[in-house]
Amino acid sequence: MKKAIWIVVGILLLSSASWAHGNLEHVLGTVTAVTDHSLTVKTLDGSVKVVEFDAQTHFLRGEAAATAKDVRVGDRVVIHAHKHGEEFQAAEVKIGTNATTATK
Amino acid sequence: MSRGGKAVLIAIVVFAVGVCCSRLLPNFFSARRKGNAMEAGAARHLRSWAVPAEIKHNPNPLQSSPELLGEAAHHFADHCASCHGNDGSGNTEMGRHFYPPVPDMRLPATQQLSDGELYYVIHNGVRWSGMPAWGEAENDPDSWKLVLFIRHLPAMTPEEMRGMEPFNPRSAADRAEEEREEKFLQGEPVEPGAPKENHHSEKTK
Repeated sequence: MKKAIWIVVGILLLSSASWAHGNLEHVLGTVTAVTDHSLTVKTLDGSVKVVEFDAQTHFLRGEAAATAKDVRVGDRVVIHAHKHGEEFQAAEVKIGTNATTATK
Repeated sequence: MSRGGKAVLIAIVVFAVGVCCSRLLPNFFSARRKGNAMEAGAARHLRSWAVPAEIKHNPNPLQSSPELLGEAAHHFADHCASCHGNDGSGNTEMGRHFYPPVPDMRLPATQQLSDGELYYVIHNGVRWSGMPAWGEAENDPDSWKLVLFIRHLPAMTPEEMRGMEPFNPRSAADRAEEEREEKFLQGEPVEPGAPKENHHSEKTK
């Protein structure tokens, strides 16, 4: 009986994974502009998105911690952001480890 | 009145109050409500009284060490973080919307509980709160390891939290999306993907 309960709890936890991550939009693209509070990104489908960042935003290059100042125009980025209406607020910005142009 | 009669009477009164609340206050049983401080305080005291004194004063039989903390962190990431978050803040999609909301375990309200109380809550769960009971009934060292980890939460580093992420539960679609993003960051060509589905996103709050 206990084993069955553990299995059910496990399934419930696993099935909840999409909820846990469900509130973040994933933005993949190439940086076209950088300001002290936002990144402009040309995404893979050709659209342009402006993503705000603040002191709470985590920047990473590979496994290493980075900062907003490490982001350059032309960098590939993967941004996980909260979407409020049409505005994006970055929770995490991963910077590409290979500086090639991204969009096709 | 006999003891059994009193128990039946109390059960009838509780049932009647429940029926009245559900009829007269349509949102009474909704988890969307925000609890008030009095309700939270009363619940905390009731929970504290429910912990047997001999367990409340039990010290943790395990000594904290990097090995045990690492093991507990992976366990926490896999079993607990969906609600509590890797940092124990409770700031997750599910944690924010429980009734009561999942507590920030870094704060004094949790950190001031004794080791025995923390163990008791993990091992037995908390009825009507969404917190399940964990571990085997008689022998549960994993819950004592989690107590060590909860004590460590206020001192967690960003690196430690990132080290927990691979142990968080993920769907096959999430794993595929991570691989795609990693390829993209390494300069490999990737196709535009379908927009990520955001079930129960911020927009629904």
